[in-house]
Amino acid sequence: MRKFLLIFALLVTTVFVFAQTPKKGGVLYDYWTADRMIFDPQEDTYLQTYAMARLLFSTLVRYKGETLELEPELLVKMPEVSQDGLVYTFELKKGIKFHDGKTELTSDDVKFTIERMLSPKGRGASKWLFEPILGAAAFMKGESTSLEGFKKIDNYKFQIILEKPYAPFLQNLAVPAASIFSEKLVMAAGDSWKLKPVGTGPFRLKSHTPNTEIVFERNPYYFEAGLPYLDGVVYRIIPDSTVALMEFEAGTLDVVTIPVLEYERIKKTGKYNIIEKEALNTYYFIMNLSDPKWSNPLLRKAMALAINKQEMAQSLYGPRATVAKSFVTPGIPGAYQLGEGPAYDYNPEEAKKIVAQLGNIGKVTAWQSGGDTLSDANIIIQAMAKEVGIDLEIIPVERAAYRQARNEGKIPATYANWWADIPDPDNYIGVFFGKGNQMSSGYNNKEIQEMIEKARIEVDPQKREQMYKQIEYKIIREDIAVIPLFHLKYLLATQKNVHGVIAHPTGITLYLYAYKQ
Amino acid sequence: MIQYIVRRLIFSIPVVIGVTLITFILLNVVPGDPVLEMVGKYADPQTVNQIREQLGLNDPLVIQYLRFVFNAARGDLGKSFKTGLPVSKMIADAFPTTLKLALSAYLVAIILGVSVGIISAVKQYSFFDHSMMIVALAGISAPVFWVAVIAQLIFGLKLGWFPISGYYSVKHMILPAIVLGTRFAASIARYTRSALLDVIRQDYIRTARAKGLSERAVIFIHALKNAMIPVVTILGMQLSGLLTGSILTESVFAIPGLGRLSVWALSERDYPLVQGVVLFTAVIYILGNLIVDISYAFLNPRIRLQ
Repeated sequence: MRKFLLIFALLVTTVFVFAQTPKKGGVLYDYWTADRMIFDPQEDTYLQTYAMARLLFSTLVRYKGETLELEPELLVKMPEVSQDGLVYTFELKKGIKFHDGKTELTSDDVKFTIERMLSPKGRGASKWLFEPILGAAAFMKGESTSLEGFKKIDNYKFQIILEKPYAPFLQNLAVPAASIFSEKLVMAAGDSWKLKPVGTGPFRLKSHTPNTEIVFERNPYYFEAGLPYLDGVVYRIIPDSTVALMEFEAGTLDVVTIPVLEYERIKKTGKYNIIEKEALNTYYFIMNLSDPKWSNPLLRKAMALAINKQEMAQSLYGPRATVAKSFVTPGIPGAYQLGEGPAYDYNPEEAKKIVAQLGNIGKVTAWQSGGDTLSDANIIIQAMAKEVGIDLEIIPVERAAYRQARNEGKIPATYANWWADIPDPDNYIGVFFGKGNQMSSGYNNKEIQEMIEKARIEVDPQKREQMYKQIEYKIIREDIAVIPLFHLKYLLATQKNVHGVIAHPTGITLYLYAYKQ
Repeated sequence: MIQYIVRRLIFSIPVVIGVTLITFILLNVVPGDPVLEMVGKYADPQTVNQIREQLGLNDPLVIQYLRFVFNAARGDLGKSFKTGLPVSKMIADAFPTTLKLALSAYLVAIILGVSVGIISAVKQYSFFDHSMMIVALAGISAPVFWVAVIAQLIFGLKLGWFPISGYYSVKHMILPAIVLGTRFAASIARYTRSALLDVIRQDYIRTARAKGLSERAVIFIHALKNAMIPVVTILGMQLSGLLTGSILTESVFAIPGLGRLSVWALSERDYPLVQGVVLFTAVIYILGNLIVDISYAFLNPRIRLQ
């Protein structure tokens, strides 16, 4: 009997060990609801393009697995940073080949990539990534032909010098838009580059049938031995998420984003792996402080107290949402945790008192991005406002027009969301409330703007964290410039035989370590 | 007849120009900068202006429009802002798919619609007639995406007879063609039925019957030809409608046709592509109507035009 038990235990262990060992081969099927049509992450900043960029290209540094911790990707080790936080010294791994198997990655390619993004003749949409580099401003204006802050030491070593210290600079280098291109291959491809990309990433583009599918195959020259495990990844374009779920249940898709209403059912079947992961986003209601009506802090406070964040999150996104306690997503150093509850807990009685105090304020306005009818979220917000006596009119505005108005700071108020590009409080606070006011916050508090400038260049991480907490306290609790509502989790389902899929907090699903059993 | 066709084609030119002009004005009057759509959430004014310059969007509107018209007249529809590919190539890649879908749906619609219409008319007020007309009414009223999803659920997921979505083989085309086709079949059935009923009551049909012809011969030889005149009009208009209006079907079934391309072009504010698709669609409509008129004249010599 003991012998039998021993053999049984050995068998179980063997099965377990083999089940955990990544298996080579297989093609994984995922989907997108829309086709971005191009593959240049310098030109297109949508999440799809970023996800594709992680297959096709590599960045100097990347996130370690599912964490927000950085690790070297194209580099031998993490760059050395000078004491004053200005000089970064990098060393590339030797022998990294692009997808053609011939062209080797060198320091010149990194310089070319950065200059291509900043070029006044190009279409670089994420100049902000490299803007902290010394001489970037002059280069962007066309006043210099070479970026002053890039010093090539040899083919594999180079230095980047910043204009002034900028703490999250290395985070910027991990954004897919900072993917490193080959000077020779980009120049050779010319205009067709964005349709026929060639990188150093784990997969290369095999074919693209517009609005149908994008097929990636394993890069045989990939610089990390043994990776990737998959032979290929296919993204099918399926505009309707209900249809995508049907495809998944029929077994023709390996990964699916679970629609909220289907979450319980899918989970209960027990047939699939479920991935739940916190992601870097905040859903919020923002009021433009330069709007004649919303400029009244009492009105903003009444609004903050009127919204039942818990109920709203639950009814819209069920288990996918967690109530926001800060504007900066929790988990990011610098996120201000407002005690146990969200900033301004739901308190309709208090809100009613304030509204009574305000007297006759008439109708107040908010905009909705796109659509011809109000979204469920806006219907909820409108109803909750009405409950406390605020007559909130919400106007749907076409997407491109909305975006233009937002850039010009002309949106009176809006329910929207922000998916951060880097896990740094500056990517929230600086973008919304710093100088320039790009998100229609209408925020013009000089003192806070100066604090934001200082926090941005602070090198000591602990000091910096405290500074942002202070800033966020002021913005949310005192000025009520934004009402954080909730954060959304990633909810993915994969087929049982799919393993190693990384749902990264940045919103990108990574397949470098994925395999099919 | 050739003179008639040529004249109709010449008269179509102002229509095409009008359509492109209205589209151009609408695109430019509606707020929203196409470049902001391209550069994403971190748009700095310098980059936006730089790209606007590259794309010729800083030129006066009159110049932009005239450039489009002159180039289009030479067969050049310009390049897509987003992909940089020639607009004509993008349309040429997407159109055959829409054409295949439309023709398959058309076939389903004609076979189903005409036969149900004939049987309903011949067996007026029968159980078949009543039930088919109720089904036809439901077919016209039901939203196409709802019918599509139900069809996908039953025939794709549960029964596994057809692929749920995508466009890879003939098998992928069956379900969308049936969904789109049955919708049109419903109205064709109703038109065929009422047109045939009108004709059956005419004197010449009574004469044909009095001559002792079989019912089959009366219906198929004498009645049907005349009854088909209004039906042909509907069929012609529906073909243009099918070719250009299958957006929802294409979206639900993930078929990469012209409908999806036009939605994409609009959402991306890809002006040259929008203009190109509108121009192409207008031409399809005009040609569709012309074909209807010609077939009309063939069917009924009384309305043959001078």
